[in-house]
Amino acid sequence: MKIKKTKSLEAVIPTASMADIAFLLIVFFMISTVFQVDKTSVALPESHSVTRSEVIKESAFVVIREDGAIKASDGVEDSQMVNMEDIGVLAGAWMQNRPSQPVVVKADQGVKYHYVDDVLEHLREAGVTNLKFLTEQAKNE
Amino acid sequence: MKLKVKKEEPEIPTASMADIAFLLIVFFMLTTVFSANKGMEHILPPNEDLDEAIEPEESIYIKIFPDGQFEMDKQSFPMEQVDRIFNYVYQKIQVNAKKPIIVHTNREADYGDMIRVLDQLKMVELESKLTLGITIPSKAEAARYDQTGQ
Repeated sequence: MKIKKTKSLEAVIPTASMADIAFLLIVFFMISTVFQVDKTSVALPESHSVTRSEVIKESAFVVIREDGAIKASDGVEDSQMVNMEDIGVLAGAWMQNRPSQPVVVKADQGVKYHYVDDVLEHLREAGVTNLKFLTEQAKNE
Repeated sequence: MKLKVKKEEPEIPTASMADIAFLLIVFFMLTTVFSANKGMEHILPPNEDLDEAIEPEESIYIKIFPDGQFEMDKQSFPMEQVDRIFNYVYQKIQVNAKKPIIVHTNREADYGDMIRVLDQLKMVELESKLTLGITIPSKAEAARYDQTGQ
């Protein structure tokens, strides 16, 4: 008796679910994406985890780089280079739009304190009360 | 004469769907920043209160110097012993919870040192569950403290 030859199977990688996988990834990245108004890289000072709290959405940003250059953002648009003298005017405008506007100070840990002092002075004069110093998690906890 | 028209099924082309999806993935992957988005909160006093400055004598007065030293109620410590602040301040506020704390940073000192001190104070605040009066003096106040030889 002659046995019918086994039908050889083509090797196929199933691609039907590819689009599903792709969409799953899209959803993941969409949810986890935070559009940051500032992408300046600074060496943030460290603080313990208990003292750190989440930055409120749409907080205004004042960035101080190690060389003393200052960038500012109202929390919606991208940060831009500004002069120290303009911080007061900018902050005044932020507070006018939203009296409880939180402001985040993102300064390099190696920066001389007088830059921060001047910024704080301007912010205080503009009526900013809710302030946050951006920090990084301390490593030796 | 009757023309034979071939009826076409309406169809949405889906062949490029995966391509579009991957393009979006790449976009979101590149724009995503998983970064440290946390910080220490500090409440600035409203402008009107500036006149009623606190006397250093009746407060816990912490001064930070450019050479990596700090002074706490006239006792000097190197910055490495910053955790001494925690115990000292914790004891003080057990006696008087309303005691104001002044963090006076020299203008040439490092910002990082000031944050380390502030970090300790915030830890005291959380540990004791009290609201501390942590003050970062304004320029005018700081100048006054400097003048009074503090």
